[in-house]
Amino acid sequence: MKTQDKKAIDDVQPLTTVDKVIHEPARLNIMAHLYVIDRADFLFMMRQTGLTFGNLSAHMSKLEAAGYIKIIKEFVGKKPHTMLKLTEKGKQAFDEYRKQMKQFFNEI
Amino acid sequence: MNEIINLKEIEKRSYRAYFQTGVYDVAFGVLILSFAIAPVLRDVLGLFYILFVIIPSSLIILLGMKYLIVPRVGIVKYGEKRESAKKKMRIITVLSTTILAALLALTAAGVFPGFIGETLSGVMFMLIIGIIVIILMGFIAYIMYFKNMLYYGLAIGIGIPTAEFLHGVVGAPLDSLITFGTLGTLLLIYGLVNLSCFLKKYPIPKEEMSNENSG
Repeated sequence: MKTQDKKAIDDVQPLTTVDKVIHEPARLNIMAHLYVIDRADFLFMMRQTGLTFGNLSAHMSKLEAAGYIKIIKEFVGKKPHTMLKLTEKGKQAFDEYRKQMKQFFNEI
Repeated sequence: MNEIINLKEIEKRSYRAYFQTGVYDVAFGVLILSFAIAPVLRDVLGLFYILFVIIPSSLIILLGMKYLIVPRVGIVKYGEKRESAKKKMRIITVLSTTILAALLALTAAGVFPGFIGETLSGVMFMLIIGIIVIILMGFIAYIMYFKNMLYYGLAIGIGIPTAEFLHGVVGAPLDSLITFGTLGTLLLIYGLVNLSCFLKKYPIPKEEMSNENSG
């Protein structure tokens, strides 16, 4: 294998190992929002991300299945309320994703 | 999603979610309008007039948040960094309000007449208070990522010396009525326009989302 070809493969290597669950734009948007706050309800996430109810619901399920977000039932006043929160695993995965993407863009 | 993910910008946007609704503009508009009629209220109610100045705007924020904003924007709990900023803001607000109220009360009680007469004119003294108000509210605006707070500070900070200046020209209560009446009405109109745009843009979500929220 030529040196140039090997270098090209090395350059894109970080992208092949990037977390595909987070890499999807809508999920990246959701993760970024939950990363900067402590927790929020479904409506707040919908307003902030600009995603539709169905879209957000589907992406949330995938993130929950990956263990990146958790659903917390809590009371706001006397009403039960569903809040969404990034898990420790989710935070670490997001940090790792940011690191990989930074590294990739620094190298090209 | 074409925009670049900018965490700082996302953070600021989520912090501003409750502020950019018009409710705070309306509340501060009403507060400044209350300043306009404060001298009249003081003559009628004595010291109780302070309650009539503070209560309406506080009620607008509390009820507006509960019935207009939260059902449309949703609920968010911020992290430690934000909570610490809010704590700082509360301390600054309480301290500055106490100091300003004490200064104004002492001035009204005639504690500084010699000082004001010999060293500072009434307008200059009120100008200094106005500048302090602008700086403090500007600081709160910076901490809370809420630039309109600086505009409220400017309205109050400019209004205080202006009213004092007009006092020598038209006398009381026209000085306050003209100054704070104009500023308050402008802010109130701006707030009502903002609020109606917000209510139109964000209707209360349908049943399916309410079910999702109530778990």
